[in-house]
This record gives sequence, C-alpha cells and structure tokens, in this order.
Amino acid sequence: MNPGVIDLSVWQLGLALLLVVAVAIVSMRQALGLERDLALGAVRTIVQLYGVGLILAAVFAAAQWYWVVLILVAMISVATHAAVSRLTKPLPGAYTIAAVALTVSTAATLAYVIFVVVQVRPWYEPQYIIPIAGMILGSSMTSAALAGERLQGELRARAAEVETRLVLGFSGREAVQPLVRSALRAAMIPTVNGMMTVGLVQLPGMMTGQILAGSSPLVAIRYQIVVMFMLAAATAIGSLIFVHLAVRCYLTPAHQLRRYLL
Amino acid sequence: MSNSSKAAPDPIFAVEHLSLAYSARRGQPAAPILKDVSFTVECGQALTLVGPSGSGKSSLLRCLNRLEEPSAGEVRFEGRDVQSLDPRRLRRDAAMVMQSPVLFEGTVRDNLRLCPAGTGGDFSEARLARTLGEVGLDKELLERDASTLSGGEKQRVTIARALLGDPRVLLLDEPTSALDPPNAALVVETVSRLCEMRGLTIVAATHQPELIRRLGGMLMYLVRGEVRAYERVDQLAARADDRLHAFLAGERTAEGLAS
Repeated sequence: MNPGVIDLSVWQLGLALLLVVAVAIVSMRQALGLERDLALGAVRTIVQLYGVGLILAAVFAAAQWYWVVLILVAMISVATHAAVSRLTKPLPGAYTIAAVALTVSTAATLAYVIFVVVQVRPWYEPQYIIPIAGMILGSSMTSAALAGERLQGELRARAAEVETRLVLGFSGREAVQPLVRSALRAAMIPTVNGMMTVGLVQLPGMMTGQILAGSSPLVAIRYQIVVMFMLAAATAIGSLIFVHLAVRCYLTPAHQLRRYLL
Repeated sequence: MSNSSKAAPDPIFAVEHLSLAYSARRGQPAAPILKDVSFTVECGQALTLVGPSGSGKSSLLRCLNRLEEPSAGEVRFEGRDVQSLDPRRLRRDAAMVMQSPVLFEGTVRDNLRLCPAGTGGDFSEARLARTLGEVGLDKELLERDASTLSGGEKQRVTIARALLGDPRVLLLDEPTSALDPPNAALVVETVSRLCEMRGLTIVAATHQPELIRRLGGMLMYLVRGEVRAYERVDQLAARADDRLHAFLAGERTAEGLAS
C-alpha cells in the first residue's frame, strides 16, 4: 500500500541467501568449522521468522484481544526461560522470580505507553502492542539476567563482607544492600549508555524499520524517543523486582546468609 | 544480666547435643558437620576449639551466634534458647571476629563506629581511643584510611570494633591464621590480655599453643565434627606423653593431632 515499500519475492530472498553461502565458503577455506552452524542458523532464521510471520499475520487479521494476550503470555514465557538460563548457578525459585519480574515490568510499562502516551484505540491493536511489547520484554529480560548474574557474583565474592555486617548486628537486608545496589547499577548501565549514544553510533532497529516502511524520519524519531524512555523504565522495574525477590532466597528470616547456594 | 536469684548465674553458653548438617543438594546426602556436641562456657571462662581443618570448629562458632542453623540440639545463651532471641541482638552480645579481617571503605574511625541504625552505644572519641589502646593500637590510627593498615592492625581493629558493642563473650574464628608470625603474636598478646585483664569470656578456634595456654579454661578437640577430647587446659599442660600436650608445648601442629 505504501509506495515506499518494495515487496520481496522468494527469488530475492534466495539472492540474499547467497551472502551466507559466501560466508560458508570463507569458513571452509579458512577451516573455521562454522559451516554446519551457519547452515543451521540460516535454516532457523527462515523457519522461525516465517513461523512468527504467519502467526502475527493471523493475529493481525483476527484483531481479537485474547489472541494478543495469548501472544504476550507466550513471549513472556520464552523470555523467562532465556533469563533464567543465563544464571551461572541455579537458584531455587528462579523461574517464578523471573516470571513475576518480567510480567510486572512489561505490563506496567506497556500499559503506560499504550494507554497514556501513544493512546492506541483499541488498546489491543496488534500493529502497536506486539512490537512494543517485544521491545520492552527484550530489555527487561536482558536486565533481569544481568542483575541476577551480577548479584550471584557479588554474593560469592563478598560473602565475608556480608557476614561481617551480620556479625555486627545488621539485618540481612542491610548486610546485602551494597551488593544489591551494584547489581542494579550493572543491570541499568547498558540502557543509560544506550540513551547517550542513540542515533550517533547506529540507528535503532525500530526507527530503521519505520523509515524503510515509508515513515517520515521525523515521525520515526518521535517513536524512538518514546521507545528509549520506555526501555529505561522496563529495565529499572524488571531488574528491581528480580533482584529484590532473588536476594530473599539467599537470606533467612534469622538474618543468615545461605552460603550453600553461592 | 539474668535474674539474680540464689542459684548460680546461667552459663554464657550451654550447648546440648548440637548437630549440624548442611542441607542436602539435589542427588547428594546431607553432609554432617557436627555430631552431638555438648559443653558449657561459664562467665569469665575460656574455651578453645582445636582440630584439623574441616573438623567443624568454625561451624560450631557459627552456631553459637546463629550464623548457622543447627539441625539438632540446643544452644542456650545466658539461659535462653538462641532460637528465642533476636539474632541481631545475640550477635552483638556474642561478638565474632573472623579469620580474615574485613574492614570497610573509610577511616579506622568510620569502621569502629559502624553499627546498625538505632543501636545505642558510646562511640565518643575518648572511648574509641581507649578501646584502640586495649588492643594495643595508638589512637593516632583513628584518622588512617583502613585499607592502609597491616594485617595484624586490621585484625586488632576488628577486635576493637567487636568490643565497642559491649559483648558478653568474644567468638574468635582462627584470628591469627591469616597473619604472619610477628602479627599473629601481637594478636595473641591482645586477646590474652583481654581475657586476663578484663575477664572477658572467650570462645576461640585457634592453632596457637601460646594463645591456648594463656586463655586457660577448657579445650575441646574436634575431629570430623566429633568431640575427641574435652579437658581443662591446665591439666593437659601438666600431663606428659600426650599428643594434645605436645601440641600445647608447640611440638606438634594441629594437623598432626589427627593422626
């Protein structure tokens, strides 16, 4: 419909695939041993994206709120699994913690952006809610995983410091406070740095997509500004909830550090 | 500070049939750390814990101030089950000094004044200076950045920090083992003096024969979490031809006690 968009034929996709074939040839010549992974990666790229495309097309056509909610739940489940699998040491209850952190951070940020900022009507309009939810979830997932990983590392490295505070009569919460702070900082710094360089080093994916799809760059940057701010909120909420729930697993009500979990 | 009835005052610690096992991990049985340990520590008395590494000395100390939760048995502090006490209060009354001293960013003064918000206590300059004196350090040190202290100075600052909370007993977890011999000797001297001059109750895990002799009181010899010997230090020292005796005389290392 938009005169700016060129629809790609299967043949054109085949031409793009030649790029990967070229990489495979380089890999063989240089004995990098990446051919199998490249082939698998190419196949997965095609299958996964076609799958998502078909599902999204169906959901867009149906435009029913329950389909949209179902897609959101599926996205959160996958993100939860991905966040938990990045923890270096298993943490009991990690799934529940990650699920709560991602659901709350996504729901809160998404609701604000959809209802208050962009004012999409109806709210479940898939064209808006699904890509926006995807971006929010991606950031919350990364920040929750980063925060969890950092918290575990800090607790391992600074257990003696925590116990020294406990021995001085501090509560468990007080004893881990500096470690919690450092985990939260680690989780939020990438997003803050992203806000510093956005547009200078690279154009964000969504903005690029919008421009390719024919939007005016001035419309696209406005959306991108909203996206940057909303990602800052999503990272903060996601990592805050994750860290505060996770740190409870390492402490007992009697202000003890569960060292066997470290 | 218990009720002063006609009966003898409650011992500082009364430990009965204490066992500790670390919680089982998936697919692994629970590992026993301490097995059926019983003893009492009277006010003003010392108890030293000796034994090879991994014998449960640290774990036993950690049960006394409830850093660790025993799997069976009871620990009573001044007549009250530690389960019924606020762990934060207990840990200030039974102050622990760890193997490796941990000092936080800031000056020695900052470290000495470190305590949870809302807990009272005298942190006046005069008291800080006096307490530093008690551990053999000069009050000039108050201004120093804590990270610039030597190992022996750091450990004595942690002892001073513990004393400032007005503890009724000091729990020492191998306070000299992370130090070189001259610094270890200084810490031994400091702790011995606290026991001799102040009459402070002390429970210490240590491998220093000198410290054990000067603290006196009781000695408990642990191997793999079991009590192998529990005797008065002066009686041990008087007896010849005994492995513990040889250890006390400095002729044997603690590791050799196990054989």
